[in-house]
Amino acid sequence: MTETPFYFYRGVTRLFGMLHAPSAPGSSLAYVMSHPFGEEKLWSHRVFVVFARTLAARGIPVLRFDYTGAGDSAGETASTSVDTYLDDLGAAVEALVARVPAATRVGLVGLRFGASLAAQFAERARLTQKFPVVLGGPLALWDPILDGESYIQELLRINLSTQLAVYGKVQESREVLVERIRAGGIANVEGYEIGLPLFASASLKELLPAEGLRHAGGTLVMQIAATEKAKLREDQQRLAELSTDGTFQRAIEQPFWREIKAFCSRADNLQNQTLQWMEQRHGVPVT
Amino acid sequence: MSEVLPVSFRNQRGNMLFGSLHLPETTQPQQKDLPVVVLLSPGVKMRVGPGRLYVPLTELLNSQGFRVLRFDFFGLGDSEGDLSETVLADVYNNIEVGRYVDDTLAALHWLSTEHGARRFVLGGLCGGAITAILAAERDARVDSLLSIGMTVTLASNAAKPGQYLTRAQLDDRRRRYLLKMLKPEAWLRFLTFRSEYDVIWKSLKRVFIKDKPVAAPPVSTTQPVEQRGNANPLFPKAYFAFLARGGKALMLFSERDRLQSEYEEKFAQPYAAQLAPHAAQIEQHVIPHANHVLSFREWQEQMLGFSRAWLARLYA
Repeated sequence: MTETPFYFYRGVTRLFGMLHAPSAPGSSLAYVMSHPFGEEKLWSHRVFVVFARTLAARGIPVLRFDYTGAGDSAGETASTSVDTYLDDLGAAVEALVARVPAATRVGLVGLRFGASLAAQFAERARLTQKFPVVLGGPLALWDPILDGESYIQELLRINLSTQLAVYGKVQESREVLVERIRAGGIANVEGYEIGLPLFASASLKELLPAEGLRHAGGTLVMQIAATEKAKLREDQQRLAELSTDGTFQRAIEQPFWREIKAFCSRADNLQNQTLQWMEQRHGVPVT
Repeated sequence: MSEVLPVSFRNQRGNMLFGSLHLPETTQPQQKDLPVVVLLSPGVKMRVGPGRLYVPLTELLNSQGFRVLRFDFFGLGDSEGDLSETVLADVYNNIEVGRYVDDTLAALHWLSTEHGARRFVLGGLCGGAITAILAAERDARVDSLLSIGMTVTLASNAAKPGQYLTRAQLDDRRRRYLLKMLKPEAWLRFLTFRSEYDVIWKSLKRVFIKDKPVAAPPVSTTQPVEQRGNANPLFPKAYFAFLARGGKALMLFSERDRLQSEYEEKFAQPYAAQLAPHAAQIEQHVIPHANHVLSFREWQEQMLGFSRAWLARLYA
């Protein structure tokens, strides 16, 4: 297996990618991984790396990349929107195909907001027929964000927690932050700035279509539950049931995308269940 | 836009380490001899730092003519290798006792052989800062240290919160406990044995009994330092060795970060006499209200301002 870091471009924006290529090339299936927003990307980074290496060791090329304003890519989140990220994802798919010409099908794996972007991208590809390689590829959604409105409020709550920790009180309420964003300002969430473009495009009650996804390559919706007793995510289950060729599963894992006591460099349950689904659906060897 | 090259090199274990080398857009003739700045990753975060703190810092350094290397330590970020710890505090602790010094030295070796670097500035936040000073102790080509939130304690001891709190932390806790006295949920926690009773007692005790800093015995730069409480015994020895050979340090702290009071109470005060002769080599600032990772833009800008001015003075 070889790992090659490189830069590619979406227009004039420089994006960082890491290609995990198997020792024996020739696979017609390859994957692009879509990371979550903000600090969740950094906490979950190693789980992505381990999963990409596992797939590459099984003969499947994988591209991990950084969205605009994340990791080593250029730009700032303040000026990004969902459209920016979908264009980034399109540039990543093109960069992968350019480096792995044998890949005729490209699957997508995403976590949290990154999963929602992957699903939106697959829907857009179906409607526009612009990325035919994606149409028949598997779509693995790890704990996708479905309610964008609540998710953005959750992000803004992190800003309030920071205020509380440093000033001893909340100086600017969520309403004030939202008002500021709507007026063209920004709100800072752990160093990442949310501006109007992202707020307007992501703060939607239905971030993904309520009637399900029509992706032809098969869709896995994976709830990540901290324990067996954790509440069933009925919204995620419904999304899978309403989607064409959708599968719903639960993986028992700690929330490795945020700071917890445990150090999570891998997520074995999530990884193994996803690999098994990939094997059943697309013949990716599990062992 | 500055030029950036994806780079990789191996550490002594044979792990491939990945990073990026950022080159200034233009280099003035007088900037050719500038040291290379190596920004070391904090904790388990990858080479951009929490909230991408190292991105604007890299841009600033490039604008001043410095070449900058950021890379991932083994077992973290994009680099090869695996870590066996299952608890985050244990990972932090192993960083604090020098796990990544060899990776840092490998980076310096790679920069010197591949890019002709002859001297270095090591910088970083928290775990990156302690790694920097421990590496500086072993490589005399490191002539300055850009430290953001230097950690002088060992994280595994954080499992016993009441035992090692600083006086400033106890006073802060007491203020918070007093504010909570009007909240029924706080009393519920207290009456159902879920409160940190030892911390409450210690914080209240300070109203009546004010303990004072105790001077530490002088540090030898060749002998190990005795463990005191949860203080990292490796830090004083490395820091004084660095200062003894003329090293310069920018020590930045965040006001609302325990690392600031820990540095003061567990290092600067006990070693005040030994630090005094080196006062001219150390520039220290505390960024008001800032948290550990300098998440808000205004805090980052202050950090950048202090760094810019210090580097300009040092390498004008």
